[in-house]
Amino acid sequence: MSITSYNGGAVVAMAGKDCVGIASDLRFGIQRQTLATDFSKVFCLAPKIYVGLAGLATDVQTLRNLLEFRMNLYKLKEERDMSPKVLTSVLSNLLYEKRFGPYFVEPIVAGLDETTNQPFLSSMDLIGAVETESKEFVVSGTCTGNLLGMCESLYRPNQSPDELLETLAQTLLAAVDRDSISGWGGVVHIITKDGVTTKELKGRQD
Amino acid sequence: MARRYDSSTTTFSPEGRLHQVEYAIEAINNAGTCVGILASNGIVMASEKRISSGLLAPSTINKNSSEKTYPLAAHLAANVAGLTADANLLMEHARLRAGRYRYQYQQDIPVEHLVEFVCDYKQHYTQFGGMRPFGVAFLFAGYDKLHGFQLYQSDPSGNYSGWKATVIGANNQAGKSILKTEYLKEEAGGEEGSIPNVEQALKLAVKVLQKTMDGTGGASAASEKMELFTMTMNDDGETVKHQILTKEKTEEIITAVEQETADSGDS
Repeated sequence: MSITSYNGGAVVAMAGKDCVGIASDLRFGIQRQTLATDFSKVFCLAPKIYVGLAGLATDVQTLRNLLEFRMNLYKLKEERDMSPKVLTSVLSNLLYEKRFGPYFVEPIVAGLDETTNQPFLSSMDLIGAVETESKEFVVSGTCTGNLLGMCESLYRPNQSPDELLETLAQTLLAAVDRDSISGWGGVVHIITKDGVTTKELKGRQD
Repeated sequence: MARRYDSSTTTFSPEGRLHQVEYAIEAINNAGTCVGILASNGIVMASEKRISSGLLAPSTINKNSSEKTYPLAAHLAANVAGLTADANLLMEHARLRAGRYRYQYQQDIPVEHLVEFVCDYKQHYTQFGGMRPFGVAFLFAGYDKLHGFQLYQSDPSGNYSGWKATVIGANNQAGKSILKTEYLKEEAGGEEGSIPNVEQALKLAVKVLQKTMDGTGGASAASEKMELFTMTMNDDGETVKHQILTKEKTEEIITAVEQETADSGDS
């Protein structure tokens, strides 16, 4: 039993034309037992910034609260929203602080830069090593092999928000079907400068 | 006679007074006036901006950046009268405390908790060490589900109290006496004993400031020196909106108040 596969889960994010999308499955379980089917691992931290956290569920929740705390303080002091690039640095720093007793999460940041509205994606490992700004897609969770395979097959650059939604949905659903501890539905968020579209996906309920 | 017991914060005088604390409170009476009014649907805080020079570099990010009003959390804001440097420290503490509460309970900190925290911190400097008290008084405006909209005042001694309407800073006695007569009178509706709404409270606050501020000049000059802040409920009924009024809106209100005073003077 590995601690990162104790709860299971899958998160994937992709960049499109002037938009980003991020999706996760909805399963919350303890090893083989499924306990809830409404546990999204993607959180809105600012109007144009979403963070996906896959890994140990308790750390997913804690890290989400920690990030909300840090973002609120930043906003009060600096009188502006954090950019996704800065959030990535904050996250990385937070994780490295626990270098010898880490949070068992591998986060993904997806958003639009608050001034230029350029798509931004980043991911990192559990101790804060950042994969420098990806231009295409990032994945995290217990079925990263499946997700990467699906992304490589289905991804095309410069997709519109509608196309991106469809691509992300198909990528996620196909990947989690081959992973026993991910799935039970999904949720996709597409972020554009005009707003966010959220769709719930119904997949195989097993 | 009191001079021997003056210099140390931590010493009582023979009459049972803490002179340093009292001197700190005096320092605030030289600061820019702040008026706070609890309205039926929100809170109004109006302040006199003392630092107003054409040479000041404006904030490039936030046009409404203020030296008087500090947002502390989504549901809390404070107005400052006194030493700005002292205020910065205390407001930072308050923000951290509110953030930590939210982190721990996943709920907004009740307004009184936050006020009490800041005040306990201030009280510390009146009882321990050799450090002077903070030379700041605050008006805290906040909303929580428990008690709705609330207005609190705190001073350097660490004492605080909840108010329907109050004034701190220069000429606060003059301001308070106006509030005593005007606050419970609903001028527009003509009924005695009802609380003004935010629109009416804004006018009342301007009226008070005009009396406490010195200086003449028309509405345009006055609007340079006045900052009007409102806290109201958002349409969702859950979250709260902080707003510092624009110069244009401020001028509008000042003009309306001057019109009303002129009219009532004629009749």
